[in-house]
Amino acid sequence: MNIKSVYSEKSSVNEAVREIQKQLQDFDTKMLIYFASSNYDADLLSSALGAGFGSITIFGCSTAGEIISGKMLKNSIVAMAFDSQSIEDVKVEIVEYVKSDCDIDKAFNSFKEHFQISMAELDYNQYVGIILVDGLSGCEEKLMDRIGDKTNITFIGGSAGDDLKFTKTYVYANGKAYTDAALLVVIKPTSGFDIIKTQSFKALDKKLVATKVNTEAREIIEFDNIPAVQAYSEALGVAVEDAANYFMSNPVGLIYGDEIYVRSPQRIDGSNMIFYCNILEGMEVSILESTDIVNDTKQAIQAKLKELGKISGMIDFHCILRTLELEQKCQTEDYGKILTDIPAIGFSTYGEEYIGHINQTSTILVFK
Amino acid sequence: MAGKIKSIIDSIVNKRSNGNATIATLTKSKMVMKGINPEKYTSTSEDDPVVIEKLVVLAKELNVNI
Repeated sequence: MNIKSVYSEKSSVNEAVREIQKQLQDFDTKMLIYFASSNYDADLLSSALGAGFGSITIFGCSTAGEIISGKMLKNSIVAMAFDSQSIEDVKVEIVEYVKSDCDIDKAFNSFKEHFQISMAELDYNQYVGIILVDGLSGCEEKLMDRIGDKTNITFIGGSAGDDLKFTKTYVYANGKAYTDAALLVVIKPTSGFDIIKTQSFKALDKKLVATKVNTEAREIIEFDNIPAVQAYSEALGVAVEDAANYFMSNPVGLIYGDEIYVRSPQRIDGSNMIFYCNILEGMEVSILESTDIVNDTKQAIQAKLKELGKISGMIDFHCILRTLELEQKCQTEDYGKILTDIPAIGFSTYGEEYIGHINQTSTILVFK
Repeated sequence: MAGKIKSIIDSIVNKRSNGNATIATLTKSKMVMKGINPEKYTSTSEDDPVVIEKLVVLAKELNVNI
């Protein structure tokens, strides 16, 4: 069994694809996952990689920064190749027009046909799902909700980025680039898999209940029956005018058991707060306080390595807000080094998917 | 009246998981994402009709008969 991660920083699509191909010329690639800067032409890139690798399963998305073993990159393509011994089976489906209709039935029927068993019955120990979705579609919650209703297998992934331009993001499959779409992939890894979910926050003993919301706009109008930004500022003990300065270090989180599902504020609109993901009316959230991303991630990966004995590969769906914090603190090099000894790729996302849609988190798919 | 909410939550979790502890935990996490935190309700919790209605919808979404 073998998994190999490769990358190219060539700015020309054709040169970058040739460099990726060259690094994999002696590798028996069965499946290739790639994440690429939005600075590459989406259609050209998808068709060049599709043509370059022939009939293998190949998919990916655009990013807001890339991750490869040992490094965090910009304006590059990172790719992970799996040989035929590492992947027993894989099926890719595209769900188009997700902004207007999050219908996953067609995709799930196709999975049923391929695997000869319904998604409701698929063994969650043997199969894992990857989801890559248009990061500007705003439909991740609905998609993850519907997926979770219909299957017990884990779908993990991220929302595609566009290097903070916020104009268009893409998912790639079948030699084509899709926007307003989600890519669902079901994989049966030969040696099994595991999940790491890590966010660098602790919950403070300060809670807010969303009492008036505009779900579609991911907007909180009132927490605790007072204007949202006022309630948030009072809970933190800061002036309303300064509230936005605390968004990165003090988002809010849904707490269940030991798990934190982070909801990150994006901006203030009047006295309302717009978030990067939904908080439903009646939900209680805790104010969070940031801890050390590098140290926490290192510990989470080391703990998993100790538990499993060996990790063959990792895919890190890494929130752009974590990348921005690492950049602010000049820690991107330190973060890249955490992944040095294991074949790894990842990208800076516009949101992470695991059970639901979450923020300021790394959801990591681990191949045993 | 009290306790109906916890009873419905338990029924949803038990029927969806068939006694599988991993699926039970997963189902509870999905409920949290849908706006119902199972940890918030006990056998003495008031029978809030709004929450009960939410649970009826949630059960239907999860394809569970309650």
